Amino acid sequence: MFYLLLEMKILEENAGALTNFEVLDFLRAKGASKDPSRVLAKVAMSEYKVYDYLVKTPAGSQTRESVKEYFTVIKQHDLSEAEIIEDCEERFPDEEVTEIVEKVGNTLPAPPDKATPEEITKGDEETETQKHDEISYDQTEDGEQMDTS
Amino acid sequence: MFYLSKIEHKFALPPHLLARPIREAIQSELERLFLDKVIQKLGLCISVYDITSIEGGSIFPGAGAPTYQVVFNLIMFRPFPGEIISAKVMSLDADGVRLSLGFFEDIYIPTHHMPYPSYYISKNNTRKWTWEYGEETDEFNIEISNEVIRFQVLSVSYPTIPVEQAKESKPFAPMVVNGSLYHEGLGPVSWWQ
Repeated sequence: MFYLLLEMKILEENAGALTNFEVLDFLRAKGASKDPSRVLAKVAMSEYKVYDYLVKTPAGSQTRESVKEYFTVIKQHDLSEAEIIEDCEERFPDEEVTEIVEKVGNTLPAPPDKATPEEITKGDEETETQKHDEISYDQTEDGEQMDTS
Repeated sequence: MFYLSKIEHKFALPPHLLARPIREAIQSELERLFLDKVIQKLGLCISVYDITSIEGGSIFPGAGAPTYQVVFNLIMFRPFPGEIISAKVMSLDADGVRLSLGFFEDIYIPTHHMPYPSYYISKNNTRKWTWEYGEETDEFNIEISNEVIRFQVLSVSYPTIPVEQAKESKPFAPMVVNGSLYHEGLGPVSWWQ
């Protein structure tokens, strides 16, 4: 006979966004790695599946420095976190778009397996995602919000 | 894709863990309770990020385990509508494509969100979705392979647990992500290189 003293309360649904890189960094700090000594680490099987997924994304080759650098460089374009740039042509002049693309290519290391910078498709709706680059540093101004317009 | 959620949970710590240092024991029990489980509206729990506070430890009459009230942060997987995510094809059928991230496999792209015009072909032993772009008829395919597919999240739903299920129906998925491959840039990465 068990007394089910179970109560769960959600205090904060959203206590902050994490970039893919931050999650990967967290798992690495826990002991996740690519080599076969997996059984010894305190990382659960399900956590390893997330690690395996993230390591193959561009976050896999990012470093703390490159992400910080990218953030300072991209700040001047006034984008919110995780923003997908729709209607690119209307919102930014052409040169600025190429500038943004270049900055992404220059500051962030290429994703593993690829030597080319993140792909951009041309057309009326250019969707360059910053999803890999959501940063939630507390030092930044005025609560940037998720903008999914 | 990932968010932190702050949770407060009151639970009994199983006695077999009491030999360990308290933090470790609580971390272990929280992981057992939450890892790889879906919490409605919050998403899929990936990891216990940290423990903010531990209170309690009193044993209730008749019980053998101390009860603790713990405040902690969980890393949740919770894609937002509009987000673009890379995934792999898990299965295909006439209703659409099912994608997987490895740690999460309930991503569905329904037929009306496939690139237009697309057709489902099931011949001999191969099954694929083909996109007819311009004159090409066999160049743009979606098949089960190791290729990376980019899709856009349309919505995330948390269906309620069914009381009864027919025997052959799909196992119940507590969290379902609906996606689209409709826009430019979406679909297999090789289409856009």
